[in-house]
Amino acid sequence: MSKSNGSPSGNDKGDVASIVASNNDLPTTSVEQGETGSSIASKPSSSSAVQLKSEKTDLPQFERGIVDGLVSKFGNSIKIIYIKPLRIKIEVPPKDIVEVASHIRDESGFDHAESVSATDYPKTGDIEVIYHLGSYTRENLSSHILALSTRTDRDNARLPSLIKVFKSVEYHERESFEMVGVYFDNHPRNDRFLLPEDWADIPPLRKEFRIKGR
Amino acid sequence: MSDQEERISETTRLGLEIVKEAEEDRLMTLSVGPQHPGSGHFRFTVKVDGDYIVDCDPDPGYVHRGEEKMCEYRNFIQNIPHLERPVIHDSSNITYSYSLAVEELVKIDVPRRAQFIRAIASELNRQVYTLYWLAIYGIFLGHSTMFMWPTGDRELLIDLLEALTGARVTHAYNIPGGVRNDIPYGFKDRCLRQVSYFEGRLKEYEDIFYNNPLLRQRTEGVAVLTKEDAIKLGVTGSVLRASGVPYDIRKAEPYDIYDEIDFNVQYMKTCDSFARAYVPLLDMRESCHIIRQLLDKMPESGEVRAKLQPNPKGPPGEAYRRVESGRGALGYYIVSDGTPRPYRVKISVGSFRNLLALPHLLVGSKLGDMPSVYWSLNYWPVEADR
Amino acid sequence: MTTPIEDFRFGPFVASVVWLLFWVLIIVTVIVLPLIFVILFYVPLPLVNGEVLTPYLFLSMMIDPTRTLPILNFLIYTEFFRVAVFPGFMYAALIAAATIFIERKFLARMQLRVGPSHAGREALGTGFEGLFQLVADGLKLVSKEIIIPAGADKPIFWAAPIAFVAAAAAVVCLIPVAPGWVVSNIDVGLIVAFAIFGFFPLIEVLFSWASNSKYPFIGGLRALHQLIAFEIPFILSALSVVILSGSLNLTEITYAQSSYWFILFLPISAFVFFMSSLAELERIPFDLPEAESEIVAGWLTETSGMIYGLIQLGTYVKLYALAALFVVLFLGGWMGPQIFPDQLGPPGEKPPLLQLLTLDGLYHGPTANAIFWFTAKTFLMIHLMLLIRGINPRIRIDILLHTGWYKLIVLSFINMFIALALIYGGVLGPGGLLTPN
Repeated sequence: MSKSNGSPSGNDKGDVASIVASNNDLPTTSVEQGETGSSIASKPSSSSAVQLKSEKTDLPQFERGIVDGLVSKFGNSIKIIYIKPLRIKIEVPPKDIVEVASHIRDESGFDHAESVSATDYPKTGDIEVIYHLGSYTRENLSSHILALSTRTDRDNARLPSLIKVFKSVEYHERESFEMVGVYFDNHPRNDRFLLPEDWADIPPLRKEFRIKGR
Repeated sequence: MSDQEERISETTRLGLEIVKEAEEDRLMTLSVGPQHPGSGHFRFTVKVDGDYIVDCDPDPGYVHRGEEKMCEYRNFIQNIPHLERPVIHDSSNITYSYSLAVEELVKIDVPRRAQFIRAIASELNRQVYTLYWLAIYGIFLGHSTMFMWPTGDRELLIDLLEALTGARVTHAYNIPGGVRNDIPYGFKDRCLRQVSYFEGRLKEYEDIFYNNPLLRQRTEGVAVLTKEDAIKLGVTGSVLRASGVPYDIRKAEPYDIYDEIDFNVQYMKTCDSFARAYVPLLDMRESCHIIRQLLDKMPESGEVRAKLQPNPKGPPGEAYRRVESGRGALGYYIVSDGTPRPYRVKISVGSFRNLLALPHLLVGSKLGDMPSVYWSLNYWPVEADR
Repeated sequence: MTTPIEDFRFGPFVASVVWLLFWVLIIVTVIVLPLIFVILFYVPLPLVNGEVLTPYLFLSMMIDPTRTLPILNFLIYTEFFRVAVFPGFMYAALIAAATIFIERKFLARMQLRVGPSHAGREALGTGFEGLFQLVADGLKLVSKEIIIPAGADKPIFWAAPIAFVAAAAAVVCLIPVAPGWVVSNIDVGLIVAFAIFGFFPLIEVLFSWASNSKYPFIGGLRALHQLIAFEIPFILSALSVVILSGSLNLTEITYAQSSYWFILFLPISAFVFFMSSLAELERIPFDLPEAESEIVAGWLTETSGMIYGLIQLGTYVKLYALAALFVVLFLGGWMGPQIFPDQLGPPGEKPPLLQLLTLDGLYHGPTANAIFWFTAKTFLMIHLMLLIRGINPRIRIDILLHTGWYKLIVLSFINMFIALALIYGGVLGPGGLLTPN
């Protein structure tokens, strides 16, 4: 399965995270077409779109190049989770994340964060925060997303804020704070944002928060 | 001696406090929303010094529904109807990227004809949304005709979409694996006629609204969001394109059949409030070209939906897919743990990203510009709250 | 009290109605009628056609048409009639009501809508549907609760709307509608009109201060800024009219335009006057004091019920007053070609009913003509003012002030010099080329 994964993708956390990590399939390749849509595979008309996508199968070279630059700079602190066409995911320990993010912004050219998602993994006891970084300035990166992820202990969830590096994470981090309960150091307002003013429960996107009746 | 010093410092402190209070007395805190006519389901407090805004603090969340949490309790197909609630005017686009992400996770290939129909539905929906946005922009600036005209024309597009999808606003049309139904008989002609009519109307909009000297006077050069700031704040969609960055997901990362379509990314370099109001109109015009091409290139017959299992599930993994919606990039980050239900869904919406520009732009501008600046950000409060 | 009666019976209901009627009759005959006669005993009654106008005569005249006309003839020359009905308040209020109806229908047509379409459809047929919408709105406003904010300055809060309507009606009193038909024909009519217009910002600021709320306060200050900025071009543009006509009396100004309307010589002043009157009216594009997307409803935020209704009435009466003032100053007032005949119907003895129909003795050709032209021109101006609303957005306060202080003042000065040049160049004025002999 890990055909396009150059780095050791082993994840000792087990559980979902490792499963996520080992999933490196190219989702839209034409290879799998025969299995799903029986009527489509035989049609020649669908070739052009598929061709374009199949051309991209050899693209990860480009993405590899981006990651190699990072790995050579930071060495073992960067763990490559997957490299897919247009999508790269790396994991960085919290202590290095600001430094890596600055490097990504200055050298690799990813200049803004599209989204910050915090995911709760109670089984491994940690919370994963992913910054999906994109680029407006570099033409050749405009279709790429670099997912910069980091993990923290879910009982004492503290992470350094990336607001000094990417201004665009301000509200996303604030939302992650109130929804999952990750405290971001150096963030100007770890504050209520979307939830009601009188919210007095645990952060709602934690897994132990159950919707009533479900 | 020390006692005296203490007393002096105490007096100084009191004096400073009085000065500070006097300074703060100059400021008036105005609450805009949620019942304010110029806010929508959204509240922000502004502090004004005379006519100038010196501070702005957005407070969204009045229509927060917990879509992300709800997603974790339903399977991939069940999620469709409730995911379109945040933007019912743009419901084909908000389910589009969800479908793309689920297709990546479950590994489905979408039939070619379905890709065209999806694109048509989402382009029509983009126009419906933009018309609604334009109507509110018009009434925010006190232009009542510009409220009525787009609302009236939007009705025609809604009728068209009703013929296509069976519902007026909440279509639930784009689903993983294709679209729900094939297009009805005679839809192509009707759609072409509608698009031609609509292009004529866009010219009239431009004449009565965008070329109005009073509008130009009060929006041109106001609340400039420079290119650097736009990139730094990570804004998206029309706000970004109005700041001189020709970035459109349809071009940057073409999904489905958009790489076969020939269109230009519309952008302006003036970066002001007028540009942000004008780019959506250009987008609508471009959208008409796209619909024409889509109708032209669409295969005459074929499947419109890939066969799915009753309860589709894929291997564990994650996907991040995005489309260009009426408000900019709309991305879904979905983590699957191998069950039919998503483990985590994060919706990255354009409105939420554009919200960051609101305090940035409002501080220093005039109170009279507040509605025009706020609504030129192409901000949909319900979508931002999710 | 208002809970529905559980077991409704028709008999007791009729009985209660009869009981009520009985008491009404008792009170009227025993108290009200004697009271009227006691009062009439002390009040001197007027003479109509040589007879004393007693209540009995009045009633009998109502029945006999031949005896009605003298009374009407007598009544319409009383001061009360002028103030309350014809050139005064009722006429203005009727035009205001018509303006609201026209505004709704006209804007609806501009905006591809139908406008109000239910109230009055059965009664008046198609084309006039929605005519009763105003009545319905008025009834709604009357029946609504008046909410006074806590901490409001109550006397001012109550007095301001009434003052607003009174000030608007005061301007109406100065406007000559036809030769001789003006409530108060004073020599400084134009100055009085401007003096009364100066009251409006004061009332608005007082009201917004009395509301004890932030949005009205901002709205009131905006109104003050706006009205002061536009007062000067407003007066200056009318000043060139005074230069040409040589009088401040509005009737004299109208007579001065018997051969040429002043808009021919003073188009720039007319434009400035029109723009300034839009600003005085706080209509789009100058509706900053009540800009709803910025400051909720501006100085009207805390109004409710009939307080709001009165202010709206005042606004529309003011709209009529300004349109009429424009007509008097620039469009020649009531002047127009004679299209009404001297007499309605053949002269001579007629059966009484026909006499009433042709308003024998009441009808006066030139006056009817004057009223017609004046009303027609006023409606034209009102239409122009409404049209602006359909096609323009609101402008910002700084642009507004800039327009008022820099552009309009300069423009009105330009036209004033043109007027002076016309006078001294011997084109107009006494002995001028175009002056009629």
